[in-house]
Amino acid sequence: MKMISSIFRLVSRVRGLFGRKEADSEFDREMQMHLQLLTEQFIRQGMNPKDAWSAARRQFGNTTLLGQRHRESRTLLSFPNLFQDLRYGLRMLWKSPAFTVIAALTLALGIGATSAVFSLIQGVLLTPPPYQKPQQLMLIPSVRANGQKMKSPRGWAAQQWMEWNEKVGSFQGIAGYGWTFNFLVRNDGSQSMQGMEVSKEYFRVMGLKTALGHGFDDSDFGQGHVKSILLGYEFWQRAFGGDKQIIGKTVRISRWDSSPVVIGVMEPGVRFLPSPGAAKEPNYDVNATVDLWVPADPDPKNLKDPGWYVVGRLRDGITPQRGEQELAALTAREASAEKEFEGFSPQLEPLTDEMNRDGRRILLPLLGASALVLLIACGNAAALLLVRGLQRQQEYAVRIAMGMGRIGLLRQVLTEGLILAILGGTLGVGLAIFAVNLFKVIAGHAVPRLDGVTAGWASLGWGLGLALLAAFIAGAIPALRAFRLNPMEVLKDAGPKGTAGIGERRLLRGVAMLQISLTLALLVGAGLLIRTMVKIAEVSSGYNTSRILTMSVTEVQSQANWGPFHRHALERVAAIPGVQYAAFAWGVPLTGNNWPATLDIEGQPPAAKESDKIALPMRAATPDYFKLMGLPLIDGREFRSTDDNKAPNVAIVNQAFTHRYFPNGNSVGRKIWFGGRDKPGIQIVGEIANGRTDDLTQEPSPEVYLPLWQAQAFSKHLVVRTTADPRTVVVAVERELRAVDPTAAIENVKTLEQIRDESLASRTFAMHLLTGFSVLGSVLTLVGIYGVISLSVASRRRELAIRSAVGAQQKDIRRLIFGEGFRLVAGGVLGGIALAVVLSGVLRSFLFEVQPSDPATFIVVGALFVGVGLLACWAPVRRAGKVDPLEALRYE
Amino acid sequence: MSCDIFFAMAKGAILSADKSEVLQGTLDMMILKTLHVLGPLHGFGIARRIEQVSQDVLTLNEGTVYTSLLRLQQQGWIESEWGTSENNRRARFYSITGRGRTQLAVETENWERISGVIGRVLRLEAEK
Repeated sequence: MKMISSIFRLVSRVRGLFGRKEADSEFDREMQMHLQLLTEQFIRQGMNPKDAWSAARRQFGNTTLLGQRHRESRTLLSFPNLFQDLRYGLRMLWKSPAFTVIAALTLALGIGATSAVFSLIQGVLLTPPPYQKPQQLMLIPSVRANGQKMKSPRGWAAQQWMEWNEKVGSFQGIAGYGWTFNFLVRNDGSQSMQGMEVSKEYFRVMGLKTALGHGFDDSDFGQGHVKSILLGYEFWQRAFGGDKQIIGKTVRISRWDSSPVVIGVMEPGVRFLPSPGAAKEPNYDVNATVDLWVPADPDPKNLKDPGWYVVGRLRDGITPQRGEQELAALTAREASAEKEFEGFSPQLEPLTDEMNRDGRRILLPLLGASALVLLIACGNAAALLLVRGLQRQQEYAVRIAMGMGRIGLLRQVLTEGLILAILGGTLGVGLAIFAVNLFKVIAGHAVPRLDGVTAGWASLGWGLGLALLAAFIAGAIPALRAFRLNPMEVLKDAGPKGTAGIGERRLLRGVAMLQISLTLALLVGAGLLIRTMVKIAEVSSGYNTSRILTMSVTEVQSQANWGPFHRHALERVAAIPGVQYAAFAWGVPLTGNNWPATLDIEGQPPAAKESDKIALPMRAATPDYFKLMGLPLIDGREFRSTDDNKAPNVAIVNQAFTHRYFPNGNSVGRKIWFGGRDKPGIQIVGEIANGRTDDLTQEPSPEVYLPLWQAQAFSKHLVVRTTADPRTVVVAVERELRAVDPTAAIENVKTLEQIRDESLASRTFAMHLLTGFSVLGSVLTLVGIYGVISLSVASRRRELAIRSAVGAQQKDIRRLIFGEGFRLVAGGVLGGIALAVVLSGVLRSFLFEVQPSDPATFIVVGALFVGVGLLACWAPVRRAGKVDPLEALRYE
Repeated sequence: MSCDIFFAMAKGAILSADKSEVLQGTLDMMILKTLHVLGPLHGFGIARRIEQVSQDVLTLNEGTVYTSLLRLQQQGWIESEWGTSENNRRARFYSITGRGRTQLAVETENWERISGVIGRVLRLEAEK
C-alpha cells in the first residue's frame, strides 16, 4: 500500500501541472456545449440536474485529457506545453545537481572543442575576402604546357595579359600585379612595408573601394617616379595612428627618388594575392594585410618580361573551364608567334580556393577530431540520461497510465536533454572563447589569417547550434526508450531503482563501444603526430640552431651607403662581448628565404626552351656565415672579405649540388652562369656540407651561395652566434646598428630556435590539439566504460548472488564481469582501429617518416587503451566479487 | 477521485494503446457514414445518432468523437464551420467532403470484405 500512496502523491503533483494549462477556448466551447446538451437530455429523461451533470460528464469522458490530446494532435509543440516541459525539466535537474553538473560539463567539453574549431573555420575559411563576388575571381598562374612541374615560379609577360584583357570574352577584366617591398623611412628606425604593384584594371577587377580619399586614376599610371600611393587600412592605423590628415601629404620611402603623395586609404582587411616569384623574399607574407598599393604601368621596353602575376574576373554564368579554354587557345597563339612565350599555359584557380588551401589543410582534420570529441561527449550524456530514465521508469509509467500522451513523454524527455545541452552549450561557448583566444596566441604561425578571427558571435552561434544537435543526439536514445515503455510491465515489476534490463545494457554497451572506437581514432591521430614530431626532432639539420640570434636589417638610405653600412655594422656587432661570430645572410635556414634563379652549369647541356632551364635556390652570405652556422667546409675555400665587387665573382655550392651535377668529380673549379654562357662566369671555389635549410622534413637539395659583398641584397638577416643565451645581446646589437645608422630598419628579432619552431608550427598545433582532444575523449570514454560496467554489476546483482550461492568463487565472478569489460573494450578498440585506418589518411600531409597506417602506433595505442580501459573496469569488478549472496537475495 | 476510478483509467489507457487502431478506425467510419447520410451535424448530434443506431450495444465515450473529428478533418475527409443549432446555440457543424465520400466507399468495401471473411471462418468453426 505504500507504493499506492506514493503513486497518489505523484498523481496529485502531475495533476497540478495539468490543471494550470490554459484551455484552448474554441475546442473548450465545443465540449462545454456538448456537455450542456447532454445534461439537458438527461434532465428531460427525468434525472435531477446534479446527477444529470455528472452522468453527462461520465458519458463524455475526461475533458481535460481530451483537450490535451486535441492540442497535442494539432501541433507537436504548443507553447504552453513547451513552457511547462521546460519548467518541469528545470525542476527535475535542479533536484539532482550532481547528475546535472556532470552531464552539462561533459557536453560543455565537447561543444567547447567543436565550436572553438568552428570559430576558426568561420574566421579563416568562411569569411569571404572583401572583394565583390569573390567567387568570380580567378588567379591565372602559368604552368608548363607539357604538364611537368615548374622548376621555378614564373609569371606572365605584360604583352600577353594585356592581349587577354582585350580579346578574351569570358572575363569581365584581367589585371596584372606584383609584390613589392620597401621601407617607410623614419629617423628612429624605419618601418617595413609590404605592398602590391597593380595595373590600372586591378581595383575595378577586384571590386575594392577606398575608406578615405580616392583611388588611382589614369594619370597616376605611367613610367618614371611613382607619384601617388594608397595605404592599407591596417598599416594606416599602425604607422600613422589613423591620422586622417595623411591624405594629400607626402611620405619618404626608401629606394625611391621622389616622395609620393598618399591619395587614399583602402578599406580594411585586404590581403595579398600570391606572387610566387617573390615568395622566397625574407619579408613575403601572403596572408598579411597589404600595407600599400603602388600604381604600375607595363614598361613598353619590357613587355616580354614574365614578371606579372595575373588575376581575372569571370563574367556572370561563365565557368572557369570555359574561361580557361578560351585563355589557353589565345596563349597558344601567342606562344607560336613569340619564342619566349613558348612552353607555358594558363591554369585558372579560384581565388578563394587558393586562399583557403593551407587553412583547410589544417582546420578540416581538426574539425573532424573535435566532432569526434563532441560525439563521445554526446555518448556519455546519452548514457547518463538513459540511466536516469531507468531510475524514473516508475514515474514515466504512472504518467502514461494517467493519460500523458507518448508524444508528450517524448517531448518531456527531449526537453530535459535540451536544457542540459543549453547549459552545456553556454559553458561550452565560454570554453570556446577562451580556446579561440588561446589559439590566437599560440597558433599564429600554424593557421593562416588567424589575426582576422574574433571569438564572439561566431563561437556563440556555433556553440548553441551544436548544443541543439547534441541535445538531439543525446536525448534521442532515452526518449525513444521512454516512448516504447510499457507502463503495465513497469508498474507490475516495481523493481529496484538503478538497474537495467538486458536490452538497455546492450544499448549502453553499444554506445560505450562506439565511444571507445572514436577515442581510439583520436588517439591514433595524436600518436601519429607525436611520432612525427619525435622523428623530426631526431633529424639532423646539418647546422646549429642553438645560441643563434637573427634579425632582418636593412639600410634604407642610399645604394652608395650599402657597403660601408654593412661592413661597419659587422665590425661593431662582432665586437660586442658575448658575440662569437656575426654575419649577414640572405637565405637563413627555415625562414623560407632564398633567391630562385635560373642558371647554366658547366658540363650541363644548354636548355633549348625557357621552361627547361635549371632553376636553383641562391643564397648569399658574408665570410663567417658557414663557421657561424656550423656548416663544415668539404672542399675548396670559404668566402673571404676580399670577395667583393672588385674581385672576380665566386660561389660556394653544397654537397647535394656536386652529387647532382658532378656525380663523378669535383665541383670546385667549375663555372656557373647567370643570363647565358656568353656572360663572364662565376667560379665555384668551395663546397660545404648539406643542411636541411628549406624544410626540416625535406632532403637537402642543391644550393648555391654567393658572397654577399658581390650579390648585394637589400633586405637580409643579421645572424649572430653568442656564447650564452642569444636574447641577452639583443639590446646591444640594436644599439650598435643604430650607432652606424639611426634610420636602419631592424625587424623580426628571433632566435634560430624560434624560427625552427615556427617552421613546424602547423604540425605542433595539430599535435597539441589532437593530443588534447584525445585526452579529453579518453577521460570521457573511461567514465563511460566505468558507468556501463557498474550498471551491469548493479543490474546483475541477483544473478551474481545466485551464482555465488550455488558455489561460484569470488574469482569466477570477477572473471565473469572482467570478461564483459574486456569484450567491451576489445570490441571498441578493434572498431577504433578500423576507423583509424580509414581516417588517418587525412593527416598524411602532416606526417614525416611515419605512414598513416603505421603499425607500431596502432599496436601501442590499441594495447595502451585496452590496459587503461580494463583499469576503468577494476572498481566494478571488485564490487561484483564482494556481492554477498544472502544480502543480495534478501534485498530483492 | 477513488482508487477504482484510477485503475479504470489506467486500464482504459492500456486498452486504447493496444487495440485503439481498430476502435478508432471503426469510429471514424461510423462518423463518416453518419455525416454522409444525414448531412452537416455537430458533435452532439453525431454522438446521438450513433447511440440511437447502435441501440446501446456500443458504449461510446462521447469525447472521443471529437478526437475522431479532428483526425478526419486533418485527413481532409470532413470540413467544419460555425453555425447556429436548432435551439439557437452556436455550434460547429461538420460535413463530409468529396474525398471523404471516396474514403467511405473504400472503407465500407474493406469492412464488408473482412467481416464476410471472418463470418465465413466463424461459421466453418461452428459446423465442425
